[in-house]
Amino acid sequence: MSTAAPSGAPIDGNDARAWLPALGRLAVAVGATVVIVVVMAFLMLPIVALFTYQPIHDLIDGLGAKVATDAIIVSLKTNVIAFMLMIGFGTPFAYILGRSRFRGRSVVITLVELPLVMPPAVAGLALLVAFGRFGLLGHTFSMLGIDLAFTQAAVVIAILYVASPFYLRGAIASFEAVDQTLLDVAVTLGAGPVRRMLSVALPLAGAGLAAAAAVAFARGIGEFGATILFAGSFQGSTQTLPLAVYSLFDANLDQAIAIGVLLIIVSFAILLTSKLLVRSWTSSTSTSPSPGERSISAQH
Amino acid sequence: MFAAASPKQPAALYAKGLVDKPIEFATNTLALIVPKRNPAHITSVNEMTRPGVKLVICEATVPCGDYARSVFKNLGITAEAMKNVVSQTADVTQVVAEISTGQGDAGFVYVTDAEAANGKVTAITLPPEAKAGTKNTIAVVKSGKNQTAAHAFVAQVLSPQGQATLRAAGFGPS
Repeated sequence: MSTAAPSGAPIDGNDARAWLPALGRLAVAVGATVVIVVVMAFLMLPIVALFTYQPIHDLIDGLGAKVATDAIIVSLKTNVIAFMLMIGFGTPFAYILGRSRFRGRSVVITLVELPLVMPPAVAGLALLVAFGRFGLLGHTFSMLGIDLAFTQAAVVIAILYVASPFYLRGAIASFEAVDQTLLDVAVTLGAGPVRRMLSVALPLAGAGLAAAAAVAFARGIGEFGATILFAGSFQGSTQTLPLAVYSLFDANLDQAIAIGVLLIIVSFAILLTSKLLVRSWTSSTSTSPSPGERSISAQH
Repeated sequence: MFAAASPKQPAALYAKGLVDKPIEFATNTLALIVPKRNPAHITSVNEMTRPGVKLVICEATVPCGDYARSVFKNLGITAEAMKNVVSQTADVTQVVAEISTGQGDAGFVYVTDAEAANGKVTAITLPPEAKAGTKNTIAVVKSGKNQTAAHAFVAQVLSPQGQATLRAAGFGPS
């Protein structure tokens, strides 16, 4: 920033020449401070307003209400199930895409990222016309006796669809960043492909995977649009925390805000965890990427 | 200007001195709707209480949810009906959406919403004992900045022209 200070301004007199650069630096410092304060105030003020809207005991009362505790349970249950499915299926998928080269690989990676940029409401509509009762697979499902409409399974699917690309993208990059020579050494030591993945690649990519999983989990906890369109909203069954916020918005604003505060605390905790994991990962010497590899750790 | 599908909310605001005296400007009727394909084969309100039927209503805090609950009460089917409720929505259009997409088997909306659904849902008239009639009221908000325009709008709604527009949409006379 200091380089932006005007230097050698065409002004007569030694005095002016002496204090002008200092004045310039001061102006830049003041300007920089103002920019930071304005942007941070804009970002933080709504959060401060949520936290200070009601006395702390009202906030705790709001979270103790049945509608809130029901939503906490629904959110926890559906997100934990979605998270396990995401890790279980997503990790081998990301490993394959991260470590192998095949035709159409970049197309697959781009398609994986598509739900990331899809508006959640559109994702909900897409799930509805794919898995809904009148959807593409609706007839097949009804013959199999499966009815997802307004079930917790539908909530899990909505969360999984919207959140898992965040994990897949990070996990693919983490596996890509694993040093090939270490995997080659494992081959010479007689390790098969599964052993190489579990004992070599997984520990090396571990922190990156965990950071990506944390971001995906946060996205899942906050999922709203796809869930309300695909799974509906019913207290104790499909009403997650964000849906409860929406439902309480007109009925009981205090409670809606109490749940909002809880969601912010949870999201912040997850964000912090993910930051710490990325830091411990990038500062670790064992995972330096081999030259030419595209990697997300290239930021350091 | 505040228009509601029920006299309750405007009356509550009037009691607090926040709006002028509410005026009833139209009536409506609650109806049972089913998807056009009618997967649960529901032809009357009695079949709606069969176990396993997926019923969608509005939340109790909004007029359409309040009316649905009083219809259940009037028909003496509250326990059975509420057991079948799988989704409660924040507004009546969401009920129409969940029924027209076939996610729900049956829902409760106003006949005007059923008519506006472009044939995607079939409306089933409720029996007289359900007392499914509803009242729409309108009131000018006292803190409103443009009182003249608000009063003019209410007058327009109550005028023969405004009433004709409402009739065309399926609303009944007040």
